[in-house]
Order: sequence, then C-alpha cells, then structure tokens
Amino acid sequence: MIFYEENPAEIVEADAVVGIPSSNEGETIAMTTAQVDKGLLESFPGMRCAIINCDNNSSDGTREAFFSAPGSVPRLYVSSEPGSRGKGRNLHNFFERAARLNPKVLIVIEADIKNISPIWIRNLGTPILKGAGFVCPLYVRHKYEATLTSSVIYPLFRCLYGRRVRQCTAGDYGFSPKLLDSYLNPPFWGQMLDNFGIDIFMGNVALTSRLPIVQSVMGIPKVHRQVEGDWQLSVIFHEVVGTIFDLMQVYDGFWQQVKWSKPTALFGTDLQEVETPLPVDINTKRLHEMFLEGFNKYFGLWEQVYGPTVAPKLQEIRSIELQHFSFPAQLWMTILFDSAVAYRRMSSAERISLLDGLLPLYLGKVLSYVKKTERMSLQQAEEHIENECVMFEENKPYIIRVWTKGEMG
Amino acid sequence: MPKILVVDDEEHIRLLYSEELKEAGYEVITAENGYRLLERIEEEKPDLVVLDIKMVDYNGLDLLQDIRNQFYDLPVILSTAYDTFKEDMKSIAADFYVVKSFDLTELKKKIAMALETRLPG
Repeated sequence: MIFYEENPAEIVEADAVVGIPSSNEGETIAMTTAQVDKGLLESFPGMRCAIINCDNNSSDGTREAFFSAPGSVPRLYVSSEPGSRGKGRNLHNFFERAARLNPKVLIVIEADIKNISPIWIRNLGTPILKGAGFVCPLYVRHKYEATLTSSVIYPLFRCLYGRRVRQCTAGDYGFSPKLLDSYLNPPFWGQMLDNFGIDIFMGNVALTSRLPIVQSVMGIPKVHRQVEGDWQLSVIFHEVVGTIFDLMQVYDGFWQQVKWSKPTALFGTDLQEVETPLPVDINTKRLHEMFLEGFNKYFGLWEQVYGPTVAPKLQEIRSIELQHFSFPAQLWMTILFDSAVAYRRMSSAERISLLDGLLPLYLGKVLSYVKKTERMSLQQAEEHIENECVMFEENKPYIIRVWTKGEMG
Repeated sequence: MPKILVVDDEEHIRLLYSEELKEAGYEVITAENGYRLLERIEEEKPDLVVLDIKMVDYNGLDLLQDIRNQFYDLPVILSTAYDTFKEDMKSIAADFYVVKSFDLTELKKKIAMALETRLPG
C-alpha cells in the first residue's frame, strides 16, 4: 500500500518507467538515479519517461538524494507506511503506481548498485519495446558468485518451467506492462514476498506467462552491497527457497507439462568490451564446518524427510575429509525434489525446520561445487552447471512421480 | 514428418546429414549459407534448424541471433568442427550443439530431444 506520495512534476502518463526500490539508500541512490536518468534520455529519445523511487520511509535522506540527483527526467516518490520494510512492498507500490501511468516498458534497478551504467537501461528496456515480456540481465559473474542461483534457482527453474534463464533473480529487470496484472494480484502474499522472495516471484510469473524472455548481456559485474554474515544467508535461503516451493504448488499444472528446456533470445551482444569478474573469497573450511554441524542438529529430520536411501549417503559424505569432499549432484537433486514435496504437506513451523535443515546440505553442495571447479575456468564451471541442469531435466519424471504420489496420499 | 533445415557450406556435410536424417524419418531441406535464411525459414517453416557455425561469409552465431529474434522458439542445433565457439556468449541462444562427425548418433539424439521439448502454451 502506498502510504505517501510526492509527484512534483505532476506525472500522469509515461511510456518508459524505471522503479528504484530503496530502504535507507541515501548514500547510493543519487548516483543510481543520475545514471538511470541518463540511460532513459539516451536509450529512449522522444519517449515520455519517469523514474519512481519506491521507498521504505527511509530516514537517511534517501528521498532528498533521489530528487536532487542530476538529470531532467520527471521523478515521483512513493513510500510504504512507517515501520514497513522490504523490497517486495516497494515493488508492489511500484507496480501499483506505474500501472496508472499507462507505460509501454517498465524497468527495475536496485538502489545500491555502485557501478551502474546508462547502457543498462537500453539493455533492459529495448527488448520489451521489441515484444519481449521479461528481460533478465546477464552480469559478468565469478564462478563462486551467486551460488544459490547456480545450485538451486537455475537448475530448479530450468527443470520446472523449461526456460534457460541463468540469472533470473538478479534483482534488476525489464518487463512488459502485460505482466502488471499478475504482479499486482499474486496468488498469496506473505513475509517472504515482502523481502527476498519477490525476485523469485517476478521471475516465476514471467516464466509461466508464455511471454518471450530475453537475457541481456551487461558486460560487467554488478557491484552492490553484499550479504553480511550467516544470519542474513539463512534469511535469504529461507525466503528464496520457500518462495520457490510455495510457487511450485501454484504452478504445478504448468510445470508438470514441461519437458526438457529451451534457450532464450539474447540482447546486448554488441557490447565491445566485457570486464572480468570480481574475485570472490570462499571459506571452504567454514562451509565444511557448517555442513558437519548440520548432522548434530538435523540428521533425524533428514532421515524422516528424505527416507532410508538418502540418510546413509549423507553419512558417507560426512566421513569424507575436506580435501576430497564431494556431494553428488544426483543426491542434491533428490534432496531438493523431496524437500519440495515434503514442504507442500507441512505446517508453517515444520516448513521453517525443513528449510533450516536444508541449509547445511546446500552449503555441502556449494563446497562440493567449489572443490570440483577450483581448477576450472569460468566457462568450464558454467559447463559443469549446465551438465547438472541437464541431469535435473532428465530426472523430471521423478519429481512428477513423487509430487503426484503426495497428492494421492 | 518433422522438417529439418540443414545450413552448411560444405556439400558433403549437407549430403551426409540429408541421407542419414531422411533414413531416420525426417524430411530434410538444405541451404548452403545464410543468404536469405530468415525468408527461407518463413517460407519453408522447418521444425528445426541444424546450423553450421563457421561458413564462408557467414557467422553461424550471428545467424542464430537473427533466428532467435524472429522465431523465438524454433529449435536450433549448432554444428561445429571445434568447440571453441562456447567462449562466445551468443552460443547460449542455441538449443544444443554437436561436434561434426560422420557418426550422427549424437546429432540424432539432440534432434529428438529438441523436438520433444514441451512448454505449455
């Protein structure tokens, strides 16, 4: 719900609308807004443009920084009520306010990006004007960056919904107003959609919309605020994976019909220079410790949820030293599929426990990926992930079988 | 009978693919380069394209972008002598790739998978 609005330019209509969700982003939003402004003027000359800052009632001068950023594109500020937090609420306000402007193209750019370039606006917006429904960026990423995407989101989305979208939840998107109705009327709304689940929701709706999806080559890494500490990792993991599992129930009629997967169209392949990814430090010792700690807390749960064939395999992995650590992709796939099925029939409290218990297994899978790919180039690591995705697709009949068996039970 | 368009500038490859794929139960049409390829696809409406990456005067990866932009869901299998093309990001718009060989087992497997691919709507 929009609690407060400032529309000094009295914007009533706009063809290209960029939303910048924020929560105390006073330090970065001026630079982001200036680059968005420049990108809109360069990419869409002659079109009516607007920038909307959808904020969480920030107290650090975000609103003032947004309005005072250099540029000439008309701006509008909306805020959720005091005390409410989360990108999801901000984006809901963006959808609501932008819908009233009768736009032809909508773009979302996160406020904390430190290296945004005006060309991002062209790359996220132009394919929509050419008929695409949803545009995802393809940032330059280190092989160890976004491991939740590589290990969970990409293989699951691809296997379930049949479209190969590598960075479907990168946080920045272009989309068609045709998706606004679905975005404004989600099948459910909860705490997870208020926060990190919103990116999953947006991507998931796009994947099931039957509208063309385009991946846009951005040519550079996205430099923004990083996840801080184990606590935030746990929150993100819960909200992302929980939202995927929630939406699997909503869209099961869709994904049960999907067989194999298809690529998307690409945009931005004309970029002359592509930067190298930023270095990522991975603490393998800590990952190993967190995986092993999971046995003390969750082994009973794992036996109960994943059955008698998985538990002994986990015990076997437990006995492998860090140096030779390996978590088979086939086992990880079975665990993810079985988790989705179990989640479906659990109470809210049981679901939290299930996701708590899945987190150390995910960290074990990440550790295994790091060990397997440590001597690989980025391209070889990508091929490794692609091969795992094919394995997920080959095992699609398994998830359909256990899912429908759950229905009968 | 699914119709396959083979685009390759080497005549012996076009002949090999045509004969083997016809034997496998497909209707096969060929093109020796990318000239008027999009118009050809529009007219002939193939169910799948097997596309050579390196042709004289034509870059298969650029043709792939053109095909994907105009025929979003048309399956395209890249056919190549070398797998260095994977370094080019444009290749991810292909459904599959195969390394050229006189044994077409892999190509036939990929064709079957591409034609079996099913998305609602």
